[in-house]
Amino acid sequence: MMLSHVAHLLPLEMKKLLESLPAEVKGTLEEIRIRENRPLEIAYRDGFRFIAPDGAMKLQADGAFKPTAEHCRKLLERITNYSLYAMEEELRRGYITVSGGHRIGLAGRTILDGGVVRGIRDIGGFNIRIAREVIGAASHLLPKLMDAAKATIGSTLLLAPPQQGKTTLIRDIARSLSYGLAGGLNRAAQAGKKVGIVDERSEIAACVRGIPTFDIGPRTDVMDACPKAEGMMMLLRSMSPEVLIVDEIGRQEDADAIREASHAGVSVVATAHAYDIQDALARPELYKLIKEGAFSHIVELRRSADGIMHRIINAGALQPQAAKREHSTGASALSLAGMGRGRNEEL
Amino acid sequence: MKLLGAVLILIAGTMIGFQQAARYADRPRQLRQLAHALQRLETEIGYGHTPLPEALERTANASAGPVASIFRETAEWLWKPEGHSFQECWERAVKANWIDTSMKGNEQSVMLRLGSTLGISDKEDQMKHLRMALTQLKAEEDAARDEQGKYEKMWKSLGALLAVLIIILML
Repeated sequence: MMLSHVAHLLPLEMKKLLESLPAEVKGTLEEIRIRENRPLEIAYRDGFRFIAPDGAMKLQADGAFKPTAEHCRKLLERITNYSLYAMEEELRRGYITVSGGHRIGLAGRTILDGGVVRGIRDIGGFNIRIAREVIGAASHLLPKLMDAAKATIGSTLLLAPPQQGKTTLIRDIARSLSYGLAGGLNRAAQAGKKVGIVDERSEIAACVRGIPTFDIGPRTDVMDACPKAEGMMMLLRSMSPEVLIVDEIGRQEDADAIREASHAGVSVVATAHAYDIQDALARPELYKLIKEGAFSHIVELRRSADGIMHRIINAGALQPQAAKREHSTGASALSLAGMGRGRNEEL
Repeated sequence: MKLLGAVLILIAGTMIGFQQAARYADRPRQLRQLAHALQRLETEIGYGHTPLPEALERTANASAGPVASIFRETAEWLWKPEGHSFQECWERAVKANWIDTSMKGNEQSVMLRLGSTLGISDKEDQMKHLRMALTQLKAEEDAARDEQGKYEKMWKSLGALLAVLIIILML
């Protein structure tokens, strides 16, 4: 039941209203959007709906339940533990992570300090994103990414548009590697790996005060709310990881840090926002990294009705193509060798 | 028989007088305790970044008597799942414990005003509100000390004297 994870944060009236929804809606709830004096909205498996005061779900906004200023204030108090003053960093970033890894995005009037956003005040919009931890989400994919010779995971780049399960997947990759569940191939690979996660947006491990609220394995260290490139370098220097996990790379510094890691013999599992491999190759930093062979696998992810679909592209096969791109762009990556198709367990 | 009644009236009068005097002595003392508690809260919020429920608990542990109860009860209300706002919890705790104190309406309204601001703004703002409440409490404390000087002794003797007056009238 997804609603029950966050129900304790909601004001009583709203909690009762949402609890009156059908069980399947509550069970597949993804987002609750609360905007002051505007219709209450939820997103679940079948899309978004507005909620009427009698609990009916509508596609039209008129007649929907409207949270009052009082509701919003109570909600804000609950999610900040009555301590907005202790949330300066979170307000600068625009969201608050609560225990359980749920993330509450905030919208309101920003406070500027020398042109830099220092925080948000007059908060009038909340987006409660219910985090789902899917233990075993990576169990189909992971064995295909293992490098038998080095007895560790090969460097991997996961590509998908937002909301396709990238974070869920790398969280489970971190967990599996850390516990040593990924082996299968040989004994050495079955030993748990030292995993370092750079969790810039607190989504992978969902740390609350530095303690991960998701199970990310016993040998995993997390740099929470840390800029990716800097975090990777810090972990490399201080925690001697065997595998580095990082979300949403794409900038020059990220690429440099990934190069540094691969020189140090550390495998990197990274994700990037991209629709597919062509989309990724159109981004200069990703293109360079792929061309240099920084990744041994590139995986495209799609969420379907049955779960997360993946397609593995062997990066070795990409390199000539990447080189060719310098002369002619737009070559089809769909005809690549080393393509595999697999299906994960249902979410 | 008459003598016994007279003695009882005398004792009662003296006790009433002393009780009134004690109220004048207690008020500045409790105001001082309250100010200390708020200072403690200010430190927890401003320097410790302690979440409010925990900060209230710590403040309660460091104070005594009805002042401690105000902070402890607020924190207890906050843990409850009913979803009351902070202001409601604070108001409830302040009002429930006020009868046990010798403090008056002025300082109660200072506390209630503070309740409408705690926890819902940034650090600087919280410190400002707490300091303002502290200044107001200090002014009340000074006034209370003046009154103590004026009325404490007076009540102590006034009770007994009134009792004597009643006895004389009854004779």
